[in-house]
Amino acid sequence: MKKLSKLLLTLSFVLSITSSAFAVTVASWGGAYTESQKLGYGDPTAKKLGIEINWVDYSGGLSEVKAQQEAGAVVWDIMDVFAMDTITGCDEGIFVEFDFDKDFPAAPDGTPASKDFFTSMPSKCAVGNILYSWNYAYNSDNVKGTPKTIKDFFNTKKFPGKRAIYKSALTNLEIALAASGTKPGKGGANIYKALGTEKGVQKAMDKIKKLCTDPKGGCVFWSAGAQPPELLMSGEVVMATGWNGRFFNATVGEGAPIVQVWDAQGLDYEYFALVKGGPDEANAKKALAMMTNTEMLAGSAKYIAYAPWRKSSIEVMKAGEPWYKDGKTNMVPHMPTAPANTKNYFLVDPIFWADNGTELGEKWEAMKAGL
Amino acid sequence: MSSEKQKILTTDGIPLEVSLKKAEKKNKIKAFLLVCPLLLFLIITYVFPIGDMLYRSVDDRMVTNMLPKTYKAMEQWDGKDLPEEEVFEAFYLDYKKLVEEKTFGKLATQLNFEKNGFKSILKKLKRKMKKFEEGNYKEQIMEVHKRWANVEYWRALKRRAPSYTYAKYLKGIDMYENEDGNIVQVPEDRRIHKILWLRTLEVALFVTIFCFLMAYPIAHLLATLPMKYSNLLMICVLLPFWTSLLVRTASWMILLQQQGIVNDFFVMIGLVSDDNRPEMMYNKTGTYVAMTQILLPFMVLPLYSVMKTISPSLMRAGKSLGGTPFVAFWKVYFPLTIPGIGAGCLLVFILAIGYYITPALVGGASGTLISNQIAFHMKSTLDWSFASAMGLMLLAGVLAIYWVYNKLVGVDNIKLG
Repeated sequence: MKKLSKLLLTLSFVLSITSSAFAVTVASWGGAYTESQKLGYGDPTAKKLGIEINWVDYSGGLSEVKAQQEAGAVVWDIMDVFAMDTITGCDEGIFVEFDFDKDFPAAPDGTPASKDFFTSMPSKCAVGNILYSWNYAYNSDNVKGTPKTIKDFFNTKKFPGKRAIYKSALTNLEIALAASGTKPGKGGANIYKALGTEKGVQKAMDKIKKLCTDPKGGCVFWSAGAQPPELLMSGEVVMATGWNGRFFNATVGEGAPIVQVWDAQGLDYEYFALVKGGPDEANAKKALAMMTNTEMLAGSAKYIAYAPWRKSSIEVMKAGEPWYKDGKTNMVPHMPTAPANTKNYFLVDPIFWADNGTELGEKWEAMKAGL
Repeated sequence: MSSEKQKILTTDGIPLEVSLKKAEKKNKIKAFLLVCPLLLFLIITYVFPIGDMLYRSVDDRMVTNMLPKTYKAMEQWDGKDLPEEEVFEAFYLDYKKLVEEKTFGKLATQLNFEKNGFKSILKKLKRKMKKFEEGNYKEQIMEVHKRWANVEYWRALKRRAPSYTYAKYLKGIDMYENEDGNIVQVPEDRRIHKILWLRTLEVALFVTIFCFLMAYPIAHLLATLPMKYSNLLMICVLLPFWTSLLVRTASWMILLQQQGIVNDFFVMIGLVSDDNRPEMMYNKTGTYVAMTQILLPFMVLPLYSVMKTISPSLMRAGKSLGGTPFVAFWKVYFPLTIPGIGAGCLLVFILAIGYYITPALVGGASGTLISNQIAFHMKSTLDWSFASAMGLMLLAGVLAIYWVYNKLVGVDNIKLG
């Protein structure tokens, strides 16, 4: 008994050492996405810097890290977060503020980091890693004709059948407005201007309501990213909004007859943030700078169809095509940022949603309850 | 008389009474020490968190302490028109201090819970404030953004004045206290919580009823079949119980969706036409089916354990005394199973009321329950005090049901085995 307890004690001591020191812990979303991060830039960075990088899964939101800080035992160094969370986290002092051009390396051609990234950061605590798209896709076996525009998504006369849309208001209101004729304008400014008014919100809600109550249409609400391709493949819906990486995996990875439509796509971002008071802040900062440099960011696009944030990373990919891990698929045309895909798009506005998320969420739920 | 009575002494000369007490005390301490771990466990994992939640849901000192001057100046303000210059000035001074201390973000988050749109105007104010000139702050602040000239925002600010507040509870039932101190409903297109409460109750109630209707015969079979069959049946009950919740939910989705196996079968045997397949998933039907199946073991097991103890001779006696099989069942067997029914129903109802993964996945438009809303405020908006308030309201609801049950049936009548 004594021996056993001694052994346990030693073991726990050893474990606590190995897990607390000499390792940087990154909290991310898990699944194929974390896999792409780990293989694309996590492991190479760890090897170069000679530190260990651990990846842990979490399901989003700041509640866990806030609880860790309140308890005085922060276990994460870096977090992969939405734009809205970087703003809230920065405001609440959860994350470290960056001196962007000093903390992050310039592009190979000397362009400073702040100019190399696709757009500016929503807060001082954020550094971008990927851009993904909220677009829609259809199953070519079940749809007669070819939907091309966002209007076609709402056109149940021409393309009858159920649609799958995201369970909350985010991006649904935007595409509803775009489909009712609002031109997104630069980065979607017009859409958000319209959504700032009662009338605009009502118009968007009505558009969704019409689609969902239409006997020829109807809605299925999805909550997990794996659902849209699944719903399309099973024939449960004819069109679905979703994340482009998931559609890409279904088409290229699994050979499903799924076609993506990029008209009025919503470009959204993922960011890294450095947790204040994390177990190994100094190493975490070093690792973060390396993981987000040109070479490394391009690495993750080998494994998933999300675009690296840096413009210079795209150049690296172009030079290295076929970039996809199967060795025969060109990756650049599948990027949400490819010129052919960004003819008509909006940038999901985190500040708008940080401001109005709760109220619009309530209105959205009230609308859904009346369906 | 008693005082005259000679005290009985033990062999070592101490009065028996004292010695006994001493021995008893020792035993009591021992007994207490034995339950101590459990007691501590309960306090740490149960009493303390609930107390903390209660405190969080009413505690609003943070905002009060952040804007001391503003609230002092606001005491004179009746909330009708825009406040006077001194309120603006006080607010400017308070906010300037917060910006210097870099804690203004917390204020922005909190005020945005009260009124949407606060976050961005506070940030804009922070940026523009650096160039403010002394005096006439009202005009300068209103210049920053038109929302600062909207009295609604100042009313919202005033609502956060008290250190302790029950506003979050009001919000949980779609009410708020307006500037005249009356409790009124929020605008119609934002009344969402009441719908969710009712929907949660409805789903939990129906799932409990369906579970009961299905579990009763199964439990009866389990209790009366010969061992070799009942064991097999028991495994059939327990096997899904051991399977992951998500796997079971996903299997129901595959089975019941419009292009799913069940619908395919209906079309094959000609029950429905191919373009008129019934919708059994992503609506309430789907929620009921999936939740009933998932919670069924929680009803079967208590019922089974109670039925197992009922002697079969009782039914025979009932019949031999002249009762029809139904009368014998209703008058003899059924009342004996009530403790099991009570335990099973309470268990299923309480589990169902807090359920959220299954309804979120299979429920479609009507799939959001109150627990989803709690999770939303816990994880996304970080409005923990509102989440706590709703959590406590849910807890209060469960306790109320428990109380009603106690009045109607009696808690002593619960039996889990």
